[in-house]
Amino acid sequence: MARLAVDVQNQPVAAESSVPDRADPATTVSGVPIAPLYSAADLAHLGISERDSLGLPGQFPFTRGVHEAMYRGRLWTMRQFAGFGTPRQTNERFRFLLEKGQTGLSTAFDLPTLMGLDSDSPQSRGEVGRLGVAVDTIDDMSQLFAGIDLEQISVSMTINAPAAIIMAFYLASAQESGFDWRKLRGTIQNDILKEFHAQNEIVFPPEPSVRLVVDLIEFCTQHVPQWNTVSISGYHIREAGSTAVQELAFTLADGLHYVEECLRRGLDVDRFARRLSFFFNAHNDLFEEIAKYRAARALWADVMRNRFGAKDEASWKLRFHAQTAGCSLQDRQPEVNLIRVAYQALAAVIGGCQSLHSNSMDETLALPSEHAVTLALRTQQVLAYETGVPNTPDPLGGSYFVETLTEQMRRQAEEYFERIEEQGGMLASISSGFFRREIAESAFAYQKAVDSRQKIIVGVNAFQEEERQPMDLLQVDEETEMEQLRNLDRVKKNRDGSAVRSALDQLKRTAERKQNVFPALLEVARVRATVAESMNALAEVLGRCEPGELS
Amino acid sequence: VTGNSPAPRIVLAKIGLDGHDRGVKVVARGLRDSGFHVIYAGLWQPVEAVVQTVLDEDADWLGISLLSGAHMALVPPLMNLLREKGLEHVGVLVGGIIPEGDVPKLQAQGVRAVFGPGTSIPEIVGFLRKDRAETPPDDLISRFRQKDRRALARLLTVAARGESLDAARKEVTAHPGKGRVVAFTGSGGVGKSSLIGRLVELLRSKDRSVAVLCCDPESPLTGGALLGDRLRIAKGGGDPGLFIRSLATPGGQQAIAQNLDVMVALLKAYGFDTVILETVGAGQGDTAVRQQADVLVVLLQPESGDELQWEKAGLLEVADLVVIHKADLPGADRVAAQVHEHLNLPGTRTIPVLKASAAKSEGLEQLWATIEQHST
Repeated sequence: MARLAVDVQNQPVAAESSVPDRADPATTVSGVPIAPLYSAADLAHLGISERDSLGLPGQFPFTRGVHEAMYRGRLWTMRQFAGFGTPRQTNERFRFLLEKGQTGLSTAFDLPTLMGLDSDSPQSRGEVGRLGVAVDTIDDMSQLFAGIDLEQISVSMTINAPAAIIMAFYLASAQESGFDWRKLRGTIQNDILKEFHAQNEIVFPPEPSVRLVVDLIEFCTQHVPQWNTVSISGYHIREAGSTAVQELAFTLADGLHYVEECLRRGLDVDRFARRLSFFFNAHNDLFEEIAKYRAARALWADVMRNRFGAKDEASWKLRFHAQTAGCSLQDRQPEVNLIRVAYQALAAVIGGCQSLHSNSMDETLALPSEHAVTLALRTQQVLAYETGVPNTPDPLGGSYFVETLTEQMRRQAEEYFERIEEQGGMLASISSGFFRREIAESAFAYQKAVDSRQKIIVGVNAFQEEERQPMDLLQVDEETEMEQLRNLDRVKKNRDGSAVRSALDQLKRTAERKQNVFPALLEVARVRATVAESMNALAEVLGRCEPGELS
Repeated sequence: VTGNSPAPRIVLAKIGLDGHDRGVKVVARGLRDSGFHVIYAGLWQPVEAVVQTVLDEDADWLGISLLSGAHMALVPPLMNLLREKGLEHVGVLVGGIIPEGDVPKLQAQGVRAVFGPGTSIPEIVGFLRKDRAETPPDDLISRFRQKDRRALARLLTVAARGESLDAARKEVTAHPGKGRVVAFTGSGGVGKSSLIGRLVELLRSKDRSVAVLCCDPESPLTGGALLGDRLRIAKGGGDPGLFIRSLATPGGQQAIAQNLDVMVALLKAYGFDTVILETVGAGQGDTAVRQQADVLVVLLQPESGDELQWEKAGLLEVADLVVIHKADLPGADRVAAQVHEHLNLPGTRTIPVLKASAAKSEGLEQLWATIEQHST
């Protein structure tokens, strides 16, 4: 029986009413105070003028969007993150999504793969295929994309510590299937820094981890020119509890560090920078999110042109994928998540995203069911085809409120850049725990605001209902793990053991000499060495990161 | 948790490969602010390590966080091992993403409660305020004498509360141990836990048993504490030759916990070859630890050189040994020279000044050799 704000006789409910008051000063979801009114005076105060600072869509500093026509030219890519069980099962889900009108693929790997383990590693017990697809060897990669034309569809892969290995599997597999590397399109996340700040899928210490990131950038810039070599991600930073400004600032700071490391490697900024992409969260606060994306574009364009001296416009443009905020989803009244996701998707699209994942309503309960993922995709389709939102670029450009927020966030992000510099830069700030501390503080402040009902969450601390409706959930059964173990066993029995050993030795030697390990990894992939074998060979040279360093 | 009742002790840990630690860290802070002593055991903990942490810390509660969906594979073995070690009195909570259908299955395994997304801190605190049935302490001493690790863990708890001190003192006087007691002090952030962690590794590789007592401050307002040092000391976990106990020092002023002398003597009597004390590291007033240890090691780091803060702290007066930690950072040689000059005036005792780095594994063997020399 639902607890109602007013009882059946329509008598107002007294003290324990679940209708919150509006007495507290208005703040964004990140706790930023919002003024009662914004006007031209705010813009003048911040020195924002249309001609000097805003520009037009498709023009520096791209605050208003990276393309002149934005979605009038081409809609964003609707790309749902998917993966569970064996490569065979995920391949089925991929084909299902393509049939439903999805326009790009996005691969979720299971935790063992993300941590550089195999399905038969002792630590993998119970985790195989559970949060994503299990990939142990190149044969799993080939199975994952079986029957899909990789020259026609773009593929995103969310993986970090073993990113170079998984990318080598992908490229070697594509080659075995006869695809041309120069025609492959897609993105590999390959962003280890945010793992140290927030997500914790880490194997090697920071410095050699970044070296591997640059190895991949260097190789793909040359051989796979349409591939996005990093997806510099704020999503996980936000999920870990940061504010919107922290998400913006830490993500861009990570991007700056990668650019510096690529330059140190001797790469030409105008060759690699165009393939750096970004990944942001789309949280509940509509205008704060829109301002965040706009500020991100302006900041990036400025540093790429003015600090790093990039000449090509493509190097200045911040292109991003967005995903609606998993951390905003609730397990109470889960259908309400559909509504949250729709508003969050709206923010991402008004903010000018290039691709979008909309979460499924059941994700606080399990991996998405087919029903739930279809509704999530339909949410984007309604936005694209029914609402009229894509009809003009940056529809909020010039809004007193949104421009003010954009400029405030840009300045606050720059203050964070300075603090990071003062502490000795990115790696020093990681080792001092700066990012983790900042994020944990924000997460705790948010929880306190929710517990004290300063922040209202529908169905959680207001408008609760007593009973929960059961939902049909996707179950990954025990048989999945057994099937994957049999797959792996078969590959190990049929491969040439001495070729595996010599490829792994070569990998170690390359790592010892601090040369680019990517060519050695391609050979490792071809001889059917596993993810864990490759990671262990690298760890012998690069060392491992201990959990005690991540408190 | 106010008044005279001792603060409940809760171990929080993440098991399996899942790295989502936002929830567990928020809960840790929330429980600390509600007066609990929270021992955060960290990420990627094997089941064996978690159980040993619960045992050594003599925890009242264990909170497991899992968002990976692997709970049905990982929680039952954990519950079995807890029972096997005689820890069925420990209340186990599971937090994270747990489908509703699995909740009764976990409860059938003995899990007391499952907390999903959207749970408030007050909800968890309200649940934990329920009292726990205490095991009677009557045969603790005899079980201790038989090397029952649970009895050791409980005796430490009892001693920390200032109870049964006479019985414990009598026992350790009758059967004293031979272990060496080494204390480490130095200001916060100097890397005490990391360095102790590396020394523990070294000692374990020589097959020497080690017990570590880590002191962290208790909030004077709530009596709560967040004890995270063991996370940096224990590697892998489940090693019976290593015992770590996290202690909260009352009032936020003192560098070491109350009745530390009895606790140290208990660990020696139990048979540990080495007992390591880690102070709060407030940077001042740590001299009380001097009486407890055979060797007192003071840690400094290169950045502390410029203003010679350590000089004011009065720490160096009582040091047997000074370590310039984080010796891989610039300025280490300069600080080492300054300290050496300051300490070793003509006619005074000679105090060795060494350099070490936990991060680079440098100077550890030499440090330990010097500690041994000093205490023989």
